[in-house]
Amino acid sequence: MNTSLRQFRYETTESLNIAVYQIRANKIRSFLTALGVIIGIVAITMMGTAINGIDLGFEKSLSMLGYDVIYVQKGSWSNMGQWWKYRNRPDIKTDYAEDINRIITGNPYSQLIVAVPQMSTIQASARYRDRELQQIFAMGTNQDYTLTASGDLSDGRFFTPQESAGGEAVCVVGDDIASGLFPEGHAVGKSIRLKNHNVRIVGVFKKQGKFLGLFSFDNQAIMPLGAFEKIYGTTPMVTIRVKVKDEKKINEAKEELTGLMRRIRRISPGKENDFGVNEQQAFKSQLDPIKNGIAVAGIFITGMSLFVGAIGIMNITFVSVKERTREIGLRKALGARRRTILLQFLIESVMICLIGGLIGLGTALSITFAIQNLLPDFPVKFSPLLVLASLVVSVTTGIVSGLAPAVTASKLDPADSLRYE
Amino acid sequence: MSTLPFIIRISSLCRFYTMGDQTVKALDNIDLCFRKNDYAAIMGPSGSGKSTLMNILGCLDTPTSGRYELNGQNVAEMDDDELARVRNREIGFVFQTFNLLPRLNCLKNVELPLIYAGIEPEERLERSRLALEQVGLADRITHKPTELSGGQIQRVAIARALVNRPSIILADEPTGNLDTATSHDIMEMFGKLSEAGNTIILITHEEDIARFTRRIIRLRDGKIESDTEQ
Repeated sequence: MNTSLRQFRYETTESLNIAVYQIRANKIRSFLTALGVIIGIVAITMMGTAINGIDLGFEKSLSMLGYDVIYVQKGSWSNMGQWWKYRNRPDIKTDYAEDINRIITGNPYSQLIVAVPQMSTIQASARYRDRELQQIFAMGTNQDYTLTASGDLSDGRFFTPQESAGGEAVCVVGDDIASGLFPEGHAVGKSIRLKNHNVRIVGVFKKQGKFLGLFSFDNQAIMPLGAFEKIYGTTPMVTIRVKVKDEKKINEAKEELTGLMRRIRRISPGKENDFGVNEQQAFKSQLDPIKNGIAVAGIFITGMSLFVGAIGIMNITFVSVKERTREIGLRKALGARRRTILLQFLIESVMICLIGGLIGLGTALSITFAIQNLLPDFPVKFSPLLVLASLVVSVTTGIVSGLAPAVTASKLDPADSLRYE
Repeated sequence: MSTLPFIIRISSLCRFYTMGDQTVKALDNIDLCFRKNDYAAIMGPSGSGKSTLMNILGCLDTPTSGRYELNGQNVAEMDDDELARVRNREIGFVFQTFNLLPRLNCLKNVELPLIYAGIEPEERLERSRLALEQVGLADRITHKPTELSGGQIQRVAIARALVNRPSIILADEPTGNLDTATSHDIMEMFGKLSEAGNTIILITHEEDIARFTRRIIRLRDGKIESDTEQ
């Protein structure tokens, strides 16, 4: 090893020793200094954890919609703010599903596999003996629904093509309905009361959770379209669910479906579509700006707290330089170079920030665990990247805030410093 | 007169300070040489320029003009880092106020110049121990400065000045904070070090301290008033 490298190593070790000594000798001061960084790092990691959590909940919700399913509806998901434009459009009819299926079975090149009608209520109630659930969604569809929806059954079966065609009073219910009406279990085979009709449960879905925290798939009662219309009459809330062959070619599939719908609706060329062709991507493009907005605001606020922390460290390092002027003079007289002194003070401020960062990380981690245990529905996710990011941020804060005082120290005149009282 | 080679050659050296609109001539056209194994005292009233001369000799300050050759290198034109290297290798400082770091024990204090020289830890310990032995403190190496008397502290400082085998030892009023008996002890220590071949330059304003040396240089108003061997 050559001398200058060895010199660097020993000087760095010496600086580390000095830093450890100084921090231990001034425990309260060091802690108060680090507090700024601790708060900053907690803010940053909690922010990141929250954004990660939003992302995660979002992904989970979107996957419920299915990446390979297109939804034909009256309105469009990508312009939900302009609902008034869609209000006067003609309703979507469940018959369209049949029309679409007829066309695509005749076309071997079609990107579409099957269309499934779906009609639903805004809100319904279900009753079993003296138990009643007020907030459920009833939905009528056919046996192909399972091809276009996520969610497995935990018990029983989906209704058969025969039950579907005959409009029999059978239903498949979500987990919340099953557990709400039958806390002791065994929902399959029982008949529940929907409006004034008895409907037999033939299957129960596994728990799926809420969609974007707004709407729960676990509150659905799904039955044959015929049965639905008998119970609730015809509602305007109709969706045609269309499964595509290849989720990578979803845009081609959307175009094909748009063309089919224009044919079915007999829209003359040049006229605007009076229906919406939607897929989960539309939600993403709606929610991404919101997410980014939260992130930008969060980074700004947490950045401010770190900035304040950095000023505190800079201030205390300046004080520290002043206090140790004689020592700096002595070290220079004994052969310490500028960069040695510079390094000494930088290491000290970086060490304070790093300790602060680690304490901050520990705090954030505990808060995350607490939230996960106390509020399981609240989306939080701690990632290793966040750990790395906050360590990098701590070190950077240390360097940035320590630099000015360290440069001042390194430029002190040795003769004057030795005489400093 | 000694015929040993010159270690320090100073020629036409000036050091001026500007204070407001006044120029203070702290050192005014000085010519001065020191040979190896010199044992000299620089004397003079306050304001005579002896501290300035000490700072320049110790490479803590650079002259306004003139030449300062230390072991053949022109120090006057060096940058900060080169000066730091020269201070580390060529000069051992002893201060009036000792300037030991109170949190470190004797051994660690003495070791400091060796850290900046990039010497390996084992050798650092060995050399520091030897230096402390040389000043008669072999049994105090793990003591902290606060556990020692003034004379002992100054001896630790002398050990620190010796440890990197410098060309010259510069002592700035080394007995200024000590009582007479201890002062004499310290001066005897310098005497022994001089006999062992070290070059020693010290600043003092006490005649009885200067009498321990072999050469007395008197400064007045930034000029050399007299330079006598005894």
